[in-house]
Amino acid sequence: MNDVGQSVEITVDGRTVLANPGELLIDACERTGTYIPRFCHHPRMRPVGMCRSCLVEVDTGRGPALQASCMLECSPGMQVDTESERTRKAQAGVLEFLLVNHPLDCPVCDKGGECPLQDQTMAFGPGESRFVEEKRHFEKPIPVNDNVFLDRERCILCDRCTRFADEVAGDALIHFQGRGSDTEVNTFPDEPFSSYFSGNTVQVCPVGALTAAPYRFKARPWDLEEVESTSVVDSVGSRIAVQSSRDCVLRFQGVDADAVNWGWLCDKERFIFEAYDHEDRLGTPLLRGDDGDLAPTGWGEALAAAAAALTDVDPDRIAVLGGARLTNESQYAWTKFAKGVLGTDHVDAQLGDGLPADFVLGLPRATIDEACTPGGIIVLLGPDPKEELGSLYLRLRHAVVHDGATLIELTPRATGLTPFADHSLRVRPGEAVDVVRAMFGEGGTAPIGGVTVEEAQAVGAIVSGAAVGQNRPVTVLLGRQSLAEAPGTVVDAALVLHDWIADVRFLSMLRRGNVHGALDLGLAPGLLPGRVGLDEGRPRFAAAWPTTPATKGRDALESLRAAADGEVDVLVLLGADVLTDVPDHDLARRGLEGAGTVIALDLFATPTVAAADVVLPATAPTETDGTVTNLEGRVSIVARKVTPPGTARPDWMIAVELARRLGADLGISSPDDVWAELSVVSPIHAHIDPEALAVQAREGILVSGGPALVRPAPLEVPSHDKNSYRLVVTRSMYDCGVLTAHSRSLAGLAPVTRLAFEPTDFAALGVAEGGRIEVRGPRGNIDVVVGPDSRVTKGTAHLLFNQRGVSAGDLIEATAAVIDLTVVPV
Amino acid sequence: MGYFRGFAVTFRKLWEKRVTIPYPEQKRDKPERLHGRHVLNRYEDGMEKCIGCELCAGVCPANCIYVRGADNPPDDPVSPGERFGFVYEINYLRCIHCDLCVEACPTEAITESKLFEFSFTNRSDAVYTKDELMVDGETGRPQQLPWEDWRDGEDTHTSGWMRATSPSGSAAYVGKVSWSGELGYGIRAPEQGRSGGEANGDDEEEGS
Repeated sequence: MNDVGQSVEITVDGRTVLANPGELLIDACERTGTYIPRFCHHPRMRPVGMCRSCLVEVDTGRGPALQASCMLECSPGMQVDTESERTRKAQAGVLEFLLVNHPLDCPVCDKGGECPLQDQTMAFGPGESRFVEEKRHFEKPIPVNDNVFLDRERCILCDRCTRFADEVAGDALIHFQGRGSDTEVNTFPDEPFSSYFSGNTVQVCPVGALTAAPYRFKARPWDLEEVESTSVVDSVGSRIAVQSSRDCVLRFQGVDADAVNWGWLCDKERFIFEAYDHEDRLGTPLLRGDDGDLAPTGWGEALAAAAAALTDVDPDRIAVLGGARLTNESQYAWTKFAKGVLGTDHVDAQLGDGLPADFVLGLPRATIDEACTPGGIIVLLGPDPKEELGSLYLRLRHAVVHDGATLIELTPRATGLTPFADHSLRVRPGEAVDVVRAMFGEGGTAPIGGVTVEEAQAVGAIVSGAAVGQNRPVTVLLGRQSLAEAPGTVVDAALVLHDWIADVRFLSMLRRGNVHGALDLGLAPGLLPGRVGLDEGRPRFAAAWPTTPATKGRDALESLRAAADGEVDVLVLLGADVLTDVPDHDLARRGLEGAGTVIALDLFATPTVAAADVVLPATAPTETDGTVTNLEGRVSIVARKVTPPGTARPDWMIAVELARRLGADLGISSPDDVWAELSVVSPIHAHIDPEALAVQAREGILVSGGPALVRPAPLEVPSHDKNSYRLVVTRSMYDCGVLTAHSRSLAGLAPVTRLAFEPTDFAALGVAEGGRIEVRGPRGNIDVVVGPDSRVTKGTAHLLFNQRGVSAGDLIEATAAVIDLTVVPV
Repeated sequence: MGYFRGFAVTFRKLWEKRVTIPYPEQKRDKPERLHGRHVLNRYEDGMEKCIGCELCAGVCPANCIYVRGADNPPDDPVSPGERFGFVYEINYLRCIHCDLCVEACPTEAITESKLFEFSFTNRSDAVYTKDELMVDGETGRPQQLPWEDWRDGEDTHTSGWMRATSPSGSAAYVGKVSWSGELGYGIRAPEQGRSGGEANGDDEEEGS
């Protein structure tokens, strides 16, 4: 960080210690081995000096005085005494005060055993209390939202949760209320603490005042065994501590990885473990019998049936979809099996809801740290990070709110970052490329969508450095803005940004768990492991694999279309719920019906699995050893903590078994074998091996490099008809996806969606809020519930994907560049 | 004469009180603080004292106690407060009757009776469940399982008396009641300690 020359020399308990400039005294002391008690101080939040526990005697030349070390920056020559009589007396006195109203119901408190108040009272406290009066009483735990309970009696008013909500998450919904001894933390009346990040307050609470419903009374800290792992709920790759007791995962806690999540998790990452432990998990293979029903069977029969279906099939008639939730090792095993043994290139981990794989890999990549550089410029050309990549949202928000980064939004609808954005250009679906061209002075002077040319050019001046000075790194957050428009719309816009801005970098916002690992390891058409195309990679793989595909295959949507036309004999689904996740539901349905044999590897009996012929139960992330790759290309460890239900097996093992039955040896008998092989065939992974990963477990290891930039053919977008509404389909944090639906604490949080219009557009419709209208789209007429939403842009209509209410998948046609809806007159 | 000298001991002892007892038909009285089979107690209103805090399981050196807590149903609470002992099991194949669980218990929920003569013929009988450990909801007496040989007095005095020390070890509390009332027994008289005099009467002879 800082070299020794800039360091500040201070004296702590007679020892000379070097502190970093601006470092708080409490941090400098802890770093050099002197622990000072604290409750309110948190390394990722700004100091407030609320609890006064960190009082130490400090002499800055005016004689020793008690000062709060969490509010004091180290200055040269500071003399600190953390063990003096006065320091001890002050710290013990503060603790005695904190305990005056604390109920001491430790035996029934979830925090008991891992409680900083217990620990520090033992270490620094007075040993006994002189307080004999009646303590302050509040109603025992009150729910502040669906997952968090608040017990105000236990609260010591340290300001950590309220600071987190206000400063870090930006959802300032819990506050101090009252004065003096009546001060309490609470939500506003009738307004719950409905934040996607509320679980973090439970983790930072230094007492048991905030407890999480999923962990409530489940175990005591001394029951728990812990292993550090990586979250695969989304592609941010937050580090987590998986804690279990008696072979049952009970809690995920955030782990502070400096490059990734800073210790924070969104509630989806935190509480998703309930799904892995659900009783509906598949524990035994299923095989469709002669009577047409799926029936439990043994692995031998199921694998034999799957292998028989794959034997002597034209590789062109095999398609493999999904695999974005697998570990890197499983993905490599499946790529090798599909492309190297079966010889098909109709392989796609993205289900028509992502971006072209070769395009993403060809862009210059940014890390999260680079995107969040203080003073940098962030261009959001993708989905709402608050809804899709929760922990990334917290990092971005910090960069913009506290570190002076400039945020520019090019989105069709307001996002969670809109309140902090410097410029929000509301881009109508399909017109992003026109807006971006206008930013750099290309195109005419007519407004595009709702964006005027002046506005666009003002933004252009910022991103090109003309308005704000040079040397401000520009990062584009790139992802699908709307599932109702073809990926080409953002691809074209990204290419213009790439060409106009010098040294621009891109941070992919593809969201699904390990989708970036899937791209790196070749689970995409036209790619081989190591971010190489088929032709460039073929020489390397010719020796290691039995075969390689001859030509680039179909992507997921093309495969489904081929299946609908009866051109797919075997469809392999790697944890892919195509009926739910493919944006075009009609296509998914026809594809699944038209496919010959469907082999599905999954955790749950999803609707897609119910239509499969062979079902092989797979292991969840808490039951699998391996690694995942996050959106930066950071490889980090996923660790097994519990045993899988029934006889479920890791996905790589299933690939190995199937290959063996087809007479091929994948050469993989453990996840570690994959790295031995990858180091030979994939130069970009050459610096990674299990030992190196173990050493760098917390921060992971970055994979960089990639193919040359590909330029897909520009997308033709039909011009907008003034009488129609362009459909915008986005995702929300909680949806009806199989994992969320199986987490008890998250399932109820999924909203009900309705077709939302900009308020004046809505008024023009002449319908009451919550009323129904009929709209005509490319899939015919559909009856929908409608409502106004101020976040929606004029001329567009908005739906949430995969929610109750209106099924967006029934409106989307995958071949269309954009979806225009017209209102059918009554 | 030598003949009679040999019988002298026999005749002398013939008239003395007998030392042996016909065990197991008859048993000796047991010491006040004997560590026997555990019981889970109830308050006088029938509520369970156990709150599922797992301190007993945490302190157990033999790892023989398994406890899990759960949220008290608000309309029909099992114990006072938020949490109750949902699962409570003691494996008597492991238990060494050290009584640390009793010392650790913050609510005097677990205490030990004076029954130590119980044997089982299979392993599942050896794992006592909460239903078996909990005292009867009407009388407050321990349940007597088929393989247990209970005698009079073995099921009484199973609670507060087991506390070896007064609160905080302070002499100021000697003679003060510091435990909660118990179903079937109410609040017991305070423990007198070694120098306690007559209040503890007969127990004194037995115990010390």
